[in-house]
Amino acid sequence: MMQNRPSFQTVLSRPFWLVPIMAFAFALPAFLLPGGVSSAADKNPQAESLPLLTFEVFPPNVTLRHAKDHVQLVVTGETTRGMQDLTRAVKYESSDPGVVEVRDGVVYPRGNGRAELVVRAAGRAAVVSCEVTGFENPHVVSFEYETLAALSKQGCNSGACHGSPSGKGGFRLSLRAFDSAVDRVTLIREDFGRRTNPLQPESSLLLAKPLMKVAHGGGLKLTKKHVAYTVLLDWISQGCQLDPKDAPRCTSIEVYPPSGRVLKMPAHEQQLSVLAHFSDGTTRDVTDLAVYSSSDDEVASVDESGWTEGHDRGEVAIIVRYLEFIESTYITFVRDVEGFKWSNPTANNYIDDLVYGKLRQLRYLPADICTDDEFLRRAHLDVIGVLPTVEESQAFVADQDPEKRAKLIDRLLERPEYARYWALKWGDLLRMTQKAVGADGLHKYHRWLERSFRDNKPFDQFAQELLTAAGSTDENPPANFYRTTSDANDCVETISQIFLGARLQCAKCHNHPFERWTQDNYYGMAAFFNRLKREKTNRPDEIFIWVSRSGEVTQPRTGRQMKPWLPNVGELDLPGEVDRRQAFAKWLAAPDNAFLAKVGVNRMWGHLVGRGIVDPVDDFRDSNPPSNAALLEALAKDFVDHGFDRKHILRTILNSRTYQASSQTNTFNQDDDRYFSHYQPRLLSAEQLLDAIGQVTGAPESFAALPAGMKATQLPSPDIVKNEFLKIFGQPERQTVCACERSSDSNLGQALQLFNGKLIHDKLRQESNRFRKLLAEKKSDEEIVTELYMAAFSRTPNAAELAASIKHLASKDDRVSALEDICWAILNTNEFLFQH
Amino acid sequence: MKRPIAAQLKHPALLQGLASFFVVLLFLGANAAVYAEDKAPPAEEKKEEKKDVAKVSFRQDVANVLLQNCSACHGPKKAEGGYRVDTFEQLMRPGESGEAAVTAQDIEDSELLRRIISDDESERMPLEADPLSKEDVAKIRQWIEQGAVYDAKDPKLPLAAIVPPPEHPAPPEAYPQSMPAAALVFSANGEELFVGGYHELTVWNTKTGALLRRIRNVDERTLALALQPQGDILAVGGGSPGRRGEVRLFDAKTGAMKSVLATTTDVVLDVAFNPAGDRLAVAGADAIIRVFDVASGEETLTITSHSDWVSALAWSDDGKQLASASRDKTSKVFDAKTGDLLITYSGHGQPVKGVAFHPDGKQVFSAAADKKIHLWKIADGKKVKDIASFGAEAYRLTKFKGGLLASSADKSVRQFNLADGKQVRVFKGLADWALSTAVNENAKLVAAGGFDGMVYIWNLEDGKEIAKLQSAPGFTLQAAKN
Repeated sequence: MMQNRPSFQTVLSRPFWLVPIMAFAFALPAFLLPGGVSSAADKNPQAESLPLLTFEVFPPNVTLRHAKDHVQLVVTGETTRGMQDLTRAVKYESSDPGVVEVRDGVVYPRGNGRAELVVRAAGRAAVVSCEVTGFENPHVVSFEYETLAALSKQGCNSGACHGSPSGKGGFRLSLRAFDSAVDRVTLIREDFGRRTNPLQPESSLLLAKPLMKVAHGGGLKLTKKHVAYTVLLDWISQGCQLDPKDAPRCTSIEVYPPSGRVLKMPAHEQQLSVLAHFSDGTTRDVTDLAVYSSSDDEVASVDESGWTEGHDRGEVAIIVRYLEFIESTYITFVRDVEGFKWSNPTANNYIDDLVYGKLRQLRYLPADICTDDEFLRRAHLDVIGVLPTVEESQAFVADQDPEKRAKLIDRLLERPEYARYWALKWGDLLRMTQKAVGADGLHKYHRWLERSFRDNKPFDQFAQELLTAAGSTDENPPANFYRTTSDANDCVETISQIFLGARLQCAKCHNHPFERWTQDNYYGMAAFFNRLKREKTNRPDEIFIWVSRSGEVTQPRTGRQMKPWLPNVGELDLPGEVDRRQAFAKWLAAPDNAFLAKVGVNRMWGHLVGRGIVDPVDDFRDSNPPSNAALLEALAKDFVDHGFDRKHILRTILNSRTYQASSQTNTFNQDDDRYFSHYQPRLLSAEQLLDAIGQVTGAPESFAALPAGMKATQLPSPDIVKNEFLKIFGQPERQTVCACERSSDSNLGQALQLFNGKLIHDKLRQESNRFRKLLAEKKSDEEIVTELYMAAFSRTPNAAELAASIKHLASKDDRVSALEDICWAILNTNEFLFQH
Repeated sequence: MKRPIAAQLKHPALLQGLASFFVVLLFLGANAAVYAEDKAPPAEEKKEEKKDVAKVSFRQDVANVLLQNCSACHGPKKAEGGYRVDTFEQLMRPGESGEAAVTAQDIEDSELLRRIISDDESERMPLEADPLSKEDVAKIRQWIEQGAVYDAKDPKLPLAAIVPPPEHPAPPEAYPQSMPAAALVFSANGEELFVGGYHELTVWNTKTGALLRRIRNVDERTLALALQPQGDILAVGGGSPGRRGEVRLFDAKTGAMKSVLATTTDVVLDVAFNPAGDRLAVAGADAIIRVFDVASGEETLTITSHSDWVSALAWSDDGKQLASASRDKTSKVFDAKTGDLLITYSGHGQPVKGVAFHPDGKQVFSAAADKKIHLWKIADGKKVKDIASFGAEAYRLTKFKGGLLASSADKSVRQFNLADGKQVRVFKGLADWALSTAVNENAKLVAAGGFDGMVYIWNLEDGKEIAKLQSAPGFTLQAAKN
């Protein structure tokens, strides 16, 4: 909704004679207007006016097994305008109100028997056959599947409250009920059974506190209307019973509707249904015990009953959690935008097809293509990390070849700076520092990394070499990887973040609170790496990596010895004498392994476009969906189909019109920051900026002890040269495996460096710098200013810019000082500081 | 409920005169901190008196309404709107709005009243709950009209401590569920065993295990029982979890209630008589240790050294020191006269549950959630040794001349030598966590209570089981299933 406001402000600022026209516009049916959300009242006329092409009720039949059983219905109709949820708009008629009745779309039992439920809307009808059995049997509340789920639902066991390690107020529950043994003791027994009172259940502290009948630090968390209240009250009334040992186990949950639903406003609401499947083959409706969250509350929010409401166009993942089971469903909300007309841009390749498909669906208009000089500067910075030279810029602009962009991309990918610059990016991820691997180790490891880019080593091979490296770190440099990871836990966390795009740190101590990773998964993965030995040799700085034949991982909470475990595969039975890492690497590099290719292409996309399709680039999770899933899939498939050829993917992205889009926005894409409708300017990285300043001033930075001419974007590690400027502009220390360690925030220190920092000052004063050389060559003011512009922006100054500079030069007696001013001003423009 | 007094009396001056007269009366009457039943007028008579004057008492009529309906959100834990009602002093202080909460005799300028009678649900208190009953609102209105007088001792006292002790509801005739047997104590002659029940104490024949009597007018849970060394007075500590704590004194022989010694904000977890029997130390979930003069009921010492629940207390044999065990993971020793902290022991690193003095007076035994009993020195707070390791949390320690008893969640009760700390015996038979122990050396009896409500009585000398009983009258496993 926020994004709609500007258009209304525009309306308000229009001249008065426009008012009658606007009034006419407001008289139009609501769905033709911009400004997404309509009230429920808007929806019904539409529901009745448009004929339903399809009409469906989920689930198609209902079985209720006890008096408190109930099932959420989800009713969907499709008109020519698309899908809409009719759960709360239809009429329900029970053939026998003594058997079932419906309230707010939920079927409740009234007595044993069979009945038909007729669901009607807009002349259509659907029938749900219902059966009620065991109505007379008392329902025994399940401790695990109802009581603990109810506590999770109300947030009692969240990390900030009683799920924290010591538990707020001395009341300690396991985080989101991952350890029912702890919860059993705490709820029923601790402190003489203080919290539950089976003799007067409603006065139990467990209820009185969240109801705020008794002071509760967490405030009001429960009302008598919540289903959790009934569950907890019944459970206490029944004497706080535990589940029988042979009770069926929940095996999975299923969310309806599945991913892919598109709702076009004014249709903007969706009821969800959550079914839990149990080991005995039964299914229970847990819609009212599941916990819901939206990946983006500005696009859509979801309430505690699973009722989702869209607020703006876009895509969201609704994440559904029931105990340790997590599933999500993606919903897309679209709406008409007044005046929007698709521009039919020509796609350069499949990337554009997929990006434009999404943009068109969401009513965003792609930006125009960027100019040659913008493209040249952008591609240089992205592929080789440095600005084009004045000569390169002149030549490119002069080049009349219609294929010149594609040819430039090919040339850049073959330049030695390409390998060095991408080794810098990967050096960050691999935490490559002199401190960690020694001076010798660093140079050898860095050269190995650089060579892998120069030789365009397939990414799967790269990953395998790295993960299975063994022996002397001197002789086999990638073995240094296991020098930067100290133990099996570190291996799990590092490898999963780099290659699986998953942050597993939480799962070390407990099941991941928001994601499907469990503590068992963590230690199951650790079992691949725990046998690794790191031994010093008698040569300085050398470590010998070898794999022991034995050694197992014990899950600290359960005490269980863990078998090696792989996502989507499960536990492995590996013979005792093998290097288990081989099995992991083989699995990771398999063409059908979705992780490696997706995470790989997403990182490359993120580097080039400035924002990952999944963003942050190493944070793949249900609650952080890709902004264009089809694009991610297609790129990953392309990557696999081309043998994990990294240059192929880079080339494909660089050649796309999407990459080459202008950073200039238009009325119909200015609100978009995630669907790639336009290029998003970003500040040059610390190393890029330092190199660029050196290049523009003609006074490149030199790094002591390193070969002359080595650029900041080619440094093997941040700890071999101390450079204050680089630190201030966010050069990471390589302490973590997270891409986020490289700070992209701007800060005061940066402003001070640019305004009056020593580095720029010295370069402007340097005797042999660019403009002094030009002065010595007796160049005219216009020639000098033009060259400075070409060096900094890859373009010539326009008439006004030139005139301003000439005027400044004329106003000063000292030409050198005047040029210092101009050069300083250029270095302080956004056009220089940003990639655009 | 009667009509407002103003409607009956047309003469406001007379009304005011009457009011102030009774204020003085009530003030005098409420001055004793102890609610001594024998001194107070019979309940019936009291009611009559109130009817005649229609005078509203803060202590008797208003405080409990505030306590039940307001203090959860406007208390020390959560002062919504910057306003608290947990003491009279706080009640009279304006909240963040700056509006006078209570202005004596001015109902127009009393925000408290305005907020409880407002028609606007967004500001009517209690928020998101049913409004107060007409009767309760009338009481508050009248109390303000009558001058908003405080008729208890200290305006800084928590409301929970000034409201008159309630007449507790009757226990269930037959228990549908068992309750943890968290406290028990033998009678002086060892013929009877008192066990804490639900709103009652049950009294059992120690030879046959038969139920002898049921003592009523006890708060919801009884978590501590102690018999005065002289054998006459039974101290009962407990309360309603999260709501109220109480210590009541009963005549151990007749079962008649003698007085309500203390009222606190959360359950009382332990009570302990000093060896002379003239002092009772009380500890509870309000983290405070209190010492009372048994005869006068006066609180002679208040120790606020612990930062979390105080679970157990013990007197030194000479009665000069007091040791405590707390959920704040420490055990402490205090001077029993001054309350000065002598030493803090943090060696368990886990909540401490039980405590006892070594007979040499220089060392302390403490039992904790780390499943151990430590013996440590008072002089330097250093551990001497581990006395025992349990399979689960260790609970209370009961010291007697001949030894030390410990209960544990590993379902065992163990007896140790005081001198060398060696284990003498394990009392067997419990099917659930052992929560409480009691001993009577003269009668040579040991008893323990389990989480499942089962109570076991053994021979102290040979460990043989004498009787076994379910302390919840009428409860059987069959009943539980139905």
